[in-house]
Amino acid sequence: MRKLMKLKPFISLCLALMILFTTEGVTAMADELPYDSYNYDYREYIHYTPAPYIPDRTVTGLDFTFNGEALGKFNNPQDLCQAPDGNIYIADTNNNRIVVLDSAMKNVVKVITTFTNNGAEDKFSSPYGVCVSERGWLYVADMKNKRVVVLDENDALVQIIENPQSESLEDGFVFSPMKVTVDYADRVYVIAQNMFEGIMVFESNGQFSNFFGTIQVEISGWEKFWKRLATKEERANQQLYIPTEFTGIDIDPEGFVYASNIDATGIQGVRRLNPRGEDVIKKGSNENVGGDLQIAGNSDYAGPSQFTDVTYRENGIYSCLDRKRGRIFTYDYEGNLLYIFGGLGTQEGTFQLPVAVEDIGGKIVILDATKGAILCFTETEYGRLINEAVSLRYDGDEAEAVAIWERVLQLDENNELANTGIGKAYLTAGDYEKAMHYLEIGMARDYYSIAFKRYRNQVLTENASWFLTGLVVLIGGWFVYKQVKKRKKGEVE
Amino acid sequence: MGKYFGKDKWSYMFYTITHPMDGYYWIRHRDYGSVPLAVLMVFLFSISFTANRLLSSFVVNDIDPRGVDGLFELLGVMSFYLLICVSNWSVTCLMGGEGRMKDIAIAVGYGTVPMTFVMVAATIVSQFVADEEQAFYGLLIGVGIAYGVLMMLMGIMQVHNYTLGKTLLTLFITFVAALIIVFLLLLLSNLLGMVYNFFHSIYTELIFRV
Repeated sequence: MRKLMKLKPFISLCLALMILFTTEGVTAMADELPYDSYNYDYREYIHYTPAPYIPDRTVTGLDFTFNGEALGKFNNPQDLCQAPDGNIYIADTNNNRIVVLDSAMKNVVKVITTFTNNGAEDKFSSPYGVCVSERGWLYVADMKNKRVVVLDENDALVQIIENPQSESLEDGFVFSPMKVTVDYADRVYVIAQNMFEGIMVFESNGQFSNFFGTIQVEISGWEKFWKRLATKEERANQQLYIPTEFTGIDIDPEGFVYASNIDATGIQGVRRLNPRGEDVIKKGSNENVGGDLQIAGNSDYAGPSQFTDVTYRENGIYSCLDRKRGRIFTYDYEGNLLYIFGGLGTQEGTFQLPVAVEDIGGKIVILDATKGAILCFTETEYGRLINEAVSLRYDGDEAEAVAIWERVLQLDENNELANTGIGKAYLTAGDYEKAMHYLEIGMARDYYSIAFKRYRNQVLTENASWFLTGLVVLIGGWFVYKQVKKRKKGEVE
Repeated sequence: MGKYFGKDKWSYMFYTITHPMDGYYWIRHRDYGSVPLAVLMVFLFSISFTANRLLSSFVVNDIDPRGVDGLFELLGVMSFYLLICVSNWSVTCLMGGEGRMKDIAIAVGYGTVPMTFVMVAATIVSQFVADEEQAFYGLLIGVGIAYGVLMMLMGIMQVHNYTLGKTLLTLFITFVAALIIVFLLLLLSNLLGMVYNFFHSIYTELIFRV
């Protein structure tokens, strides 16, 4: 024992050193990241989390040679997408070309600058958006040429979509396509510049069909009141109430269109449009799919997030890119915020003008127009666990997700989704006390109430004999007391 | 002690709760009430209110516990109590009310007792209700508050010997008077601040020059 006492200072020194070294290692890792990762809790407080994604690598045009020549810098690239065969298509807008990389982004597969149009050579002019359909056709939103060019897998021209004709289009409308996407039936969805009536849909033969997913303008009663008071001249000077344009577009395998838009109120920056063009997105418990929740302030950095692109990932998960603060917001199919990461800056792993987001082989890939670079982010254990658990829940395997959620809790103690997930599993398993504990931390009031009700019934049935006996004793006692009192009264009289 | 918190005062308070019209009449004319007891009741109400916000069960309670500050709420309830009493007194003085300041204080103070009871009861009941039974919880609180308000109304009516119509009218004017008082207080504090600043700048000026 005495020996041990002598050793005590030594042991404590060792322990202290151990703690020092281990913690130092952890903080050093966190410091390497140029951005914060966080989420919002039920009460909309910011809650910092481990990083779900970390910068993997940055790809610029300078990294490649093609046919023995240097590819050269990307100049203001505006869009990228992955084809079904894995190749990655980049709209290198100001270089008027489409660059195709292989799926590992190691080599250039081809560069498309020209194509044959009616026997003559034709070129792109500011190709803004690219998309590859399921059958491998390339759709290019050739903005300054005011057309969408469709090329087949051998880069031969299939058709050109231009000059849409319809009664619903205003006279003198100039068709400047910015973003394009194609669904399984080869219908083409185009976001055109200054087109406030929604996404333009073209049939597979290039015929303009209809507008899709029009954003309704909401005018409050207060604004109506002021409009009424204003004179004609004043009204002419006032800002017009026009709906916002869509900024980015993606299609999920079921044919639902995800479209991002810039919402000045910060409530809804993304829509999920069903084939009839109706918004069917779920907004989660806080009724918000608009990015950051804490947006108050007067600085340039304050204000609602501006979603510039959206990508559907898998199992109902989609990510939106905020160009205002360079953050990526990931939601699940119920509209719950899963994680937030990313930031603006000049360091590696930050953006200057992010324009497009894509999920390529499990990596989140961001295209930065100013840097002319493609930034890849790879998932950490934290991000992977959340993706897996949400996917399991999407498939209905909540019980299987519990082990994953428990691991998430080890990394991020107060994660509400994890707590709710575990609580729901306990609820199904019949352990109501534990379910109540987790559901309360997860702030899932509805499920908590169900668990509580069953717990209450359980307690009542288990102790029914005690309750009933107690009741009988009480009634009996009351009866006896009355009788005694009566008799006493009688005696006094 | 016995004078303010004696057994008779307590029992008369409970009599007043069950028989407000009669109770308040004798409080006015026979001094059966007690102002310190009324203040104590307001104090208890404030505590029960905070307790309800903090302790009622998760099913019915959506309040962020970090936003609940018992001391601050106590201060708020007390100053509101004072404000009502003062403004009502100043209005009824001009409108032929018979009540004295102490009667008003007692009328309002005793009126909080049903609310206190209900807050405590509701907090306990909330531990046993599920989502669908929330309505009972809401009803309980609603009934308590309605009873309390009704008691205050009757109290003010009785101590001033008003008709119901006149009571409602004076209450409305009381509300306006309360706003005026708040406005004047803000003005006063602002002006005092300016005076203070004036002297303070003279002081700093002197310090720099000497």
